[in-house]
Order: sequence, then structure tokens, then C-alpha cells
Amino acid sequence: MGENGHLPPKSNIKRWLVTTNHKDIGVLYLITSMFFLVMAGILALLIRAQMWAPGATVLDPGGYYQVATSHGFLMVFWFLSPFAFGFANYVVPLQIGADDLAFPRLNAMSYWLYLFSGVLFGISFFQGATFMGGWTMYAPLNAPAFIPNYGHVGSFAAILALVMFTGSVTIGSVNFLTTIYRMRAEGLRMRDIPLFSMSILLTVWMMLFAFAALLGALVILSSDHLLHTSYFADVDGNPSSGGSLLWTHLFWFFGHPEVYIVFFPALGAMAEIVQTFSGRRLVGRKWFVIAMALVAIQSFIVWMHHMFLTTINLPIKTIMMVTTIGISLPFDLMVFALIYTMIKGRVRWKTPFLFVLGALLIFIVGGITGVFLGAIVLDYSFRGTYWVVAHFHYVMASGAVALIGALYYWYPKITGKMYNEFLGKIHFVVAFVGFNLLYFPMFVVWETPRRMFEYSAGFTFWHRVASVGAVLFAASFVIMIYNLFMSLYSDRVVDDSPWAYTGSTEWAVPSPPPTENFPGTPSFTSGSLRFLEGPEATDGGVEGEEATPDGGQVTAAADHGEPHPDHASWWPVFAGSSALLAGIGLSGLSPSMFVWPFLFALPAFVYFVGAVGARRDGFTVLHGAFLSASFLLLAVFIALFHVTQGIITGLESAPTYFWLALAGAVLGVYTLVRLGFESFYVPEPTSSAQWPFGEVENTKLGMWTFLGSDIILFGAFIGSYVFTRFEFGWQDWWHVAHEVGGLEHHPVWPGLLNTYILLASSFTVVLALVFARRGVGTTEIGPLSVENRKLTLGFIGTTFLGACLFLLNKGIEWVDLYFHQGWTFNADIMSSTFYLTTGLHAAHVVIGMMLMLFLMVRSYTGAYQGEDEARTIEYFGLYWHFVDIVWLFLFPLFYIL
Amino acid sequence: MMTPGSALLRHAAFAQVSRTPADVFDNLYLVFLVLGTLVGVVVISYTVYNAYKYRASDPDAEGRYDVEETPPEEDGDGVARPQVGEIPTGSGKGGGKKLFVSFTISAVIVLGLIVYAYSLFLYVEDTNQLYDGEDTEDPLEIQVVAEQFRFTYVYPDGTTTEELRIPKDRPILVNVTSQDVMHNFGIRELRVKADAIPNQYNEAWFQAEETGTYEAICYELCGVGHSSMRGEEVIVMEPEEFNDWYDSSEAEKAEVSG
Ligand code: HEM
Ligand SMILES: [Cu+2]
Ligand SMILES: [Cu+2]
Repeated sequence: MGENGHLPPKSNIKRWLVTTNHKDIGVLYLITSMFFLVMAGILALLIRAQMWAPGATVLDPGGYYQVATSHGFLMVFWFLSPFAFGFANYVVPLQIGADDLAFPRLNAMSYWLYLFSGVLFGISFFQGATFMGGWTMYAPLNAPAFIPNYGHVGSFAAILALVMFTGSVTIGSVNFLTTIYRMRAEGLRMRDIPLFSMSILLTVWMMLFAFAALLGALVILSSDHLLHTSYFADVDGNPSSGGSLLWTHLFWFFGHPEVYIVFFPALGAMAEIVQTFSGRRLVGRKWFVIAMALVAIQSFIVWMHHMFLTTINLPIKTIMMVTTIGISLPFDLMVFALIYTMIKGRVRWKTPFLFVLGALLIFIVGGITGVFLGAIVLDYSFRGTYWVVAHFHYVMASGAVALIGALYYWYPKITGKMYNEFLGKIHFVVAFVGFNLLYFPMFVVWETPRRMFEYSAGFTFWHRVASVGAVLFAASFVIMIYNLFMSLYSDRVVDDSPWAYTGSTEWAVPSPPPTENFPGTPSFTSGSLRFLEGPEATDGGVEGEEATPDGGQVTAAADHGEPHPDHASWWPVFAGSSALLAGIGLSGLSPSMFVWPFLFALPAFVYFVGAVGARRDGFTVLHGAFLSASFLLLAVFIALFHVTQGIITGLESAPTYFWLALAGAVLGVYTLVRLGFESFYVPEPTSSAQWPFGEVENTKLGMWTFLGSDIILFGAFIGSYVFTRFEFGWQDWWHVAHEVGGLEHHPVWPGLLNTYILLASSFTVVLALVFARRGVGTTEIGPLSVENRKLTLGFIGTTFLGACLFLLNKGIEWVDLYFHQGWTFNADIMSSTFYLTTGLHAAHVVIGMMLMLFLMVRSYTGAYQGEDEARTIEYFGLYWHFVDIVWLFLFPLFYIL
Repeated sequence: MMTPGSALLRHAAFAQVSRTPADVFDNLYLVFLVLGTLVGVVVISYTVYNAYKYRASDPDAEGRYDVEETPPEEDGDGVARPQVGEIPTGSGKGGGKKLFVSFTISAVIVLGLIVYAYSLFLYVEDTNQLYDGEDTEDPLEIQVVAEQFRFTYVYPDGTTTEELRIPKDRPILVNVTSQDVMHNFGIRELRVKADAIPNQYNEAWFQAEETGTYEAICYELCGVGHSSMRGEEVIVMEPEEFNDWYDSSEAEKAEVSG
């Protein structure tokens, strides 16, 4: 193959905007995350400057808290994980023998959402003030009532930046899960994938669920900001009954897995590097993997060890202590496995190894001090002090140090050049000394309260040592950047593997690897890696042992009838930038204005589906109908806008934020439509190991995993509702206790009716699928003979109609409650939970309707007729059934129980 | 969770341990520190020792930036080394047993420590025991109300102050809450700390053994004034002195309300 699909050369800036190739995106991730490392590092130096002496010496209090908060956010979210995912993007497909990730365009979208979410976060500094409540965002300090006025817009922008980041992570997790399960080289069993890939697999599993919980928390928080609901505090600053505790649960349910999420890739990299530079395979590999998997699962049941000082009761504290100590034991095993691997090795003290060795030593200290924290009596005194700060830097930053080792390790693979070994070693020494000078004093003066720049004068010496260490640590990275940059232009060219004793597949291909990664189809069926070259090799050169269950052997690339895989698309970068525009806009809009930009984007969506569809499939009546419907809808929205805001006054007083949001929303829907219609060929893996998902296609597995995370999102909402209601008094809730606050008893029938409507619509989706599967042709219905594509269209349309009825019914109900009975979003905690939870469901319905509009134009032109073609409808059906099932939980919870 | 076992543990701890939470912390911290340092030093030294002992002596080979791989047959020491393109496996037999031995040893240390720590935890957590001492008084119950950016103390008789005056040698049971955001009330030397959460009431107890002034500190970020939410406002007094103050404060209050 050789040429790049539609990819411009690397020297062309356009290449980097349109690329969907995993290696390019890996590089983008690495560079971007290092940029954020520098940013967060500068903030850290500001913190250490403030701590040079007690008191607000450098920054004013507001400034200090902004700096401390964003340092945490940037390091944890925008540096550590994305840095690791730079390697994951680059290396995992190579290690498992895949040409690319399963969904290359979504991968690019992950990257752009990540980059632009970071940009949004950066912008938030300039919108008055960014969020200043700590990276843990404790409630109700995170609610608008407790944020100074000058910080409202910036704080909300920071929260929205996190929401965007969560989107990026979720898409990325779905992508990696599908890739690793479905696209491994033949003969490579799940348990055999290299340790770095294994650690990424476990990381994305944790990400999928943990970030969904974070998204739930962030959406709830956003709603307190935007809709003035009162989950955490109402607008007058009255804290809600359970909001404070609720937040700690939501946050730490995410937060604890998160600390492992940032550490796991480093652990995987450590294992790889120790193996290579010891020239030995990992001791107890099986147990190492089992330990990692255990930790990943268990990480979801230890979160309350961050809450020992709250009002959780004794039995729960006990359980959390047990699980916390329990989770430290598998780590123990992993550390010993790494140490024993060096025994009888041929250990070379190269830069990557030095960093990993350093990280291991640091991690040992961090782990031991973690056990201190697990002993509750000790934690009572450590909580809120520099002991915790020192502990988590010893563990998390040990991850960072290990990943720097990984950077030196894979640098020759990525660039094809060797870095300067001498400078690398200098970097290590300065970094290691700096690190310990920086963090060890924090153990010594651990009695310093965390996040406080006032401290006892007697501690000054040690804080100064830490500040000096910080400068050293920071300076060491200057050496690194210099080294890596200059080495690009050196003549130290490397071949496949500059290291002895490497094992995994990325070292069997040139550095850097070509676009299509491998010289043939990688296969492990013979017991070790071989590249099968096109059909001839598969026919002649391969013995009988290589037969696969499905018999698929022919590689797509070699067969000239197959189209080339695509590697370029403009739409991911547009998706990211429209999200940025919408995010900036949203951050500055008032409750009465914010919906309009998004409502106006709906007619635009309908219009684009019609227009782009007509260009792609040829103009039909249906396209015409879409175009006219879009204008009708626009007219309706303009009329509505006029009634509520007054069209002249409304638009005259519309702030710049309004136009930004409008631009973002319209560009966003345009991008989505173009993505939908773009023909982007990605071969479905045919000859690869796919256990345990051999029977499902990539997209279906992707949809499943996505819905898995959506379950957690709704779980967070329902959990919040149940928690809040218990704190409030279960039986005092409005729909069971009559006459609450003058509100009439809430009728059950709108909910009941909607249940029927949704169930019926699930049925019609199935019918649409049935007729799509029948392929091109007609079906006799009584005396009529109808074209199958029309039946497909008809049943999707019916489903769409059901959704319309559902929303109409809900709209009537809400108008009655909200306007006639005056039960506004901020009336009480009951209205907050009701509107937001059912509103989230309604938003899912609206998204479903947008998807159906798309399906309708396409099905009219017969795009889905046939067994394979109908799959798109099947995937949509999965989503739609899910939305229905959620309602089956919401209805009893909000109307009956 | 009061299984017979844990009740026994609690008793054992109760019998032998000195009484205040501050003592409990000091004891336990010392034990952890000694063992933790020991384990840390041993493991770290062992790691560095191995990394050093098994370092490869080969010089850098021509044109490559690493040692020359020796083919498996020539290796002599019987270790199968990684090769590019192999299906990853573990190291086979080598080291597995050692792994489990050291894992078991460290697990025993950790578990032992935790069981011990847990017994002390139960002691600290049990506020009922404060009421059945024969020779001591019942604890003094004080409500601590946090708000941005100060603490207010409410005594049983309704006296409300911004200084926490307490008698020495008597258990103090604080009931901590907040009026606005989440704070945390703590006195460093007396080893008491509790989150101050709006609409929640959080109990903790402590006991001062020496008179003097201590600092009350907020340990949870609570807004721009958080850093200054600390002050030398905890005054430990001789019991008689305290009683005098308490009685007079009652009188004052009576005056105000009367
Ligand atoms: C070896 C086992 C470990 C144990 C027993 C442990 C235990 C704990 C406990 C109990 C806390 C709560 C401290 C408090 O706020 O009072 C804590 C905090 C923390 N731990 Fe660990 N930990 C361990 C390993 C790790 C690892 C591997 C990481 C991440 C790489 C990590 C990251 C953190 C972070 C980030 C916090 C502080 C979060 C915050 O309050 O901002 N810990 N740890
Ligand atoms: Cu944790
Ligand atoms: Cu505070």
C-alpha cells in the first residue's frame, strides 16, 4: 500500500488537523499534554512561591485558590491521563497487531475534544476568575451562591471544560475497549497481550464507569449553575439537606478509581521497561495481571476512605478500611514482581530504566504512607494536612516519573532517532533529587494544613526546602525538552529496536512505523509473530495450522478490489471546536437565554440533514420535506423567542456569549450531519483474535460499552435522587405526601401514558429493523404490496412520532407544574431532582429523535436495506430500547413510590 | 459491626491504652512510623541492590545504543530472555515462590498493623464509654458551628462564644456542624478533627491534659478566607477556673436575656 490514504505529508499543517491515524494522534496527545504539564508546572511553582513564607505573600487568597485548584485539574486531567493516552494511541495498536483503532474518526474526535476542553479551561482564567474550590470541588462551595460574583462565569466555564473532557474520555474508552477486544492479531489471546496494553485495557474499563459518574456529578453541578436548581445550595445560599455529602460520594466514587486511572498506564509501562532493561520476562506475570484486575475492580468500593471524617457510620468506615487495606496488597505483589524481575537480569541503567527505577522507589514510599492513611485513627489526624499532599504526590507523581521513562523508551520508536543518553541521565538525577527535595519535606512538616498558605513559622525551613526542590524538579524538564528536541535533528538513526531484549510487536517494525503499521497481516498462530503477506502467503506459505474458525484469511490491503482505508477527516476537529464555542457561550448565558442557541440549532439540523442528504443520495421528496420543515420549525422557534424574550429586545441585549453559543451549536449540528454522511472506510477486522466478542461487530460492541457508561450516568442521577430523598425524608416527598408547599397532588397519568408511548415506540423500531433486513423488494400486507424501504421509513417515522408524543405530553405536564403551579426548578430540592432527572431522560429522547431524522432520510433512499446495511438501525434500536428501559425506572421512582 | 471479636478487641485496647485520642494517635503513629520506615528501608535497599548487582557489564555495541543480545543458547545462566515477537509469557518458574513469600510477609505485617489500629479505632470511636467512667465526670458537650470564616461554640447552657474554653482532664464531646459550606474543625495538638457539614451533626471527642492555648484550624477549603480560618482560640483551663468562668457566663447570659 504505502501511500497515506488521503493523508497529506507530516510537514503539512493540514495533516495534523485531519489525521485519524492512531500514531499521529498519539503524537498530538503527547505534545499537547506536555504543554499542559508546563502550564500546570508553572502554577505549581506559584504555589511553592506562596509557601516560601507564611501568609499571602505572592498571590492574593482568591488568586492562590485559583492557582492551587487549576494546578490539580490540569495535572490530573489534562496532563497525566492524556500523556499516558499518547502512548496508548501510539503503542497499543502496534502491540496487539491492529492497523488502527476501531473507530479512527472518533479517536480524532477524542483528541480534539481533549485539546479544546483544555483551551476552554485556559480561557476560564480570563473570565473574571476560574474555579477556586479545589480539584475535589466540594459542595456547596462549588454552587454559584458561594462563588464570588466575579468568578461565576469562569467557574462555570471550568466545569464545562471538565464536561467536555469527560466526553473525550468516554469516546476514547469505548474506542480502546472495542479495539483491544476485537482487533488483536490472530493467535494473540486476551491474557497474552503485552502488559502496557493490558494496563490500558483495565484503565479504560475504569474510565468508562468512573467518568460516567463524574459526568453525572458535573451535569448536576452545571444545573445548579445554569438552571439554578438546588441540589447543593439554592441561589440564596441555603445549603440543601444532603447536598454536601452527596457530592463527596459522587466525587469520590469517581475520584478513587481516577487515581488508579492515572497510575495504571504508568504501571504497565514500568512492567514493559523493567522487562526490557532487565532482559527478563516479568516474574509472576499471571499474578501481576490478576492483581491489576483485582485492583481495578476493587477501586470502586473504597471511595469512602476519603470521607472518614464525615458522618458516615462505624460499620461503613470499617468496611472501607478493610477494602482499602485489601487494595494495597495487590499493589504490594506488583511491586515485588517488578523487583524480582531484575534478579538474574542483565540490567542496563539506561535513562528509561533509571526513571522507572526511581518511580518504583518513590511509589514504595507513597504506598507505605498510604497504609498509614488507611488506618482510620491516623487518618483522622492526617486528613486535610500535607501528609495527604505528600502521599498522593509520591504515588501519582511516581506515575508521572514512570511515564517520563516511557517517553525515553518509546521516543526512538516514535521519532526514529535516539535521544542523548548523557543528557537523559542528567535529567534523571536532577529530577529525582528535585522530586524528593520537593515532596519529602512535606512528610516532615505534615502538620501544615493543606490548601492553606498560613502555617506555623517553625515549618518555614522545610517549606523552603520544598520550594527549592520544586525549582530543581521543574528545571530538569527543561533539560528533557532540550534533549528531545535537539535529538530530532541528530544523526542517531535507529532501526526496528534500539533496545536489546524487547518483546512486543512494536519493536518488530521500523521506527517510526509506516502508516499501515505492518508489512503484512500480523499473526501469532505459529507461536510467535509472523507477518502474512497478502493472499499468496496465506494460500501457499502457510501451513494448515493457521486455519481460523471463520476462515477469513485474505488481507484487505492486498486485495485490489477493496477500497483503501481512510485516514483523514475534517469533521473531528470541527466537532471539537464547535464544542469549544458552545462551551464558552454557555458559560456566560443566563437561565432565560441559554436554551435559545440550542433550540435554533434544531431547525439547522433538520435543514442540514435534508441538504447534505440530497447532495449525497440525490434529491427526493423527503429531502424537500426536510428542507421545508426546517423553515417551519425555525419560524416556530422565532415566534416562541418573540413571545418570551421579545425578538428585538432579546437580540439587542443578547451578549456575545449568545452568538458564540449559537455559532457553536449550529457548527456542531452541521459537523455531526457531515460526519454521518461522510463515507469513511474502515475495514471490519476479519482475521483477528476477537474473543470474547467474536460474534459482534465493532460498532455494536462500541454501542454496548457506550450504553454501559450511560447506565452509570443514570445510576448517578438515580442514586443522587434516592440519597437526597432519604436525607429529606422518603415519605415526605411531594408525590406521596399531599399538599407540599401548596402544590397539588401530582397526577400519575402523564407518566403512565408516556410509559405506554415509549414501549410502543420500542416495538416500532423492531419492526423497522425487520423490514430493513428483508433487503430490497416488497412485502405483501393484505392486498397491498409495499416496498420494504418504505416500510422501514414508515416504522422509523412512527417511532419518531411516538417520541414527539412523549415530549408533547411531558411538555404539557411541565408547563402545568412550572408555570401554573409555580413549581420552578429552584422551588425546592424535590423540583430540582424531578426536572433534572426526567430532563436528562428527555434529552436522550431528543438525541434519539435527531438520530431518527437522519435514519429517515437515509432509509428513504434505501440505504439500510439488507442484512449488513440494516445494522445501523439495529444499533439505533439498542440505544432506543435503553432509553425506554431507563424510563421504566424513572416512572415508578418519580410518580409512584 | 459489633461482633464478639471486635468487642473483645475493643476491650483489650481499652484496658491497656492511655486514654486520650492524642495519646492513641501518638502511640499508633510511632508504631507505624517505625515499622513503615523499616519496611521502606529494607525494600528500597533490596531494590537498588538488585538493580546494581545484576547490571550488565557488556560495553555498548557498535552502532547500537544498547548491549548486544546474547542468543538464548549462549546465555549459560538458564534464564530465558525476551525476544521480539514472542507471545508474552511470564518468567516461568523463576522467582514465583519468592514472590509469594515476600508478599505473604508484607501482607502479615500490614494486616497485623491494621488489626491493631482497628482496635484503637474502636476505642476512639466509642463515645458511650465516656459516660460510664466512675471517677471522672461526664463529658462536656459543646456544639461547634462553623461558618465562613470562623467557629462559634455553644455550651449546654446556651452560652455562645467565639473562644473554646474547656477544662483540662475532662472529655470534651464536640458536635460539629456548618451554616454554609463544608468546613472542618480541628485542634492540632489535641488530635481532634471533624468535618463541619451543613445539616449534619458530626461527633468527636478529645481531652486536654495540660492547660494552655491551642489553635483551632479549619481543615477543609471553604472559600477565599479559608487560610485565615485559624486562631489561638482554644483555652484549656484548670477545672475550677473553668467552672468560675462557666458560672459567670451563665450569669451574664441570664442578664442579657432577663
Ligand atoms: C497503597 C495503597 C494506598 C492506600 C492504602 C491509600 C490510601 C489513601 C487514603 C486513605 C487517602 C485519603 C486521605 C485523606 O484525605 O484523609 C488517600 C488519598 C489519596 N490517594 Fe492514596 N492510597 C494508596 C495508593 C494510592 C495510589 C496508587 C494513588 C494514585 C496513584 C493514590 C492517590 C491518592 C490521592 C490523589 C489522594 C488524595 C485525594 C485528595 O484528597 O485530593 N493513592 N489515599
Ligand atoms: Cu482513594
Ligand atoms: Cu476553611
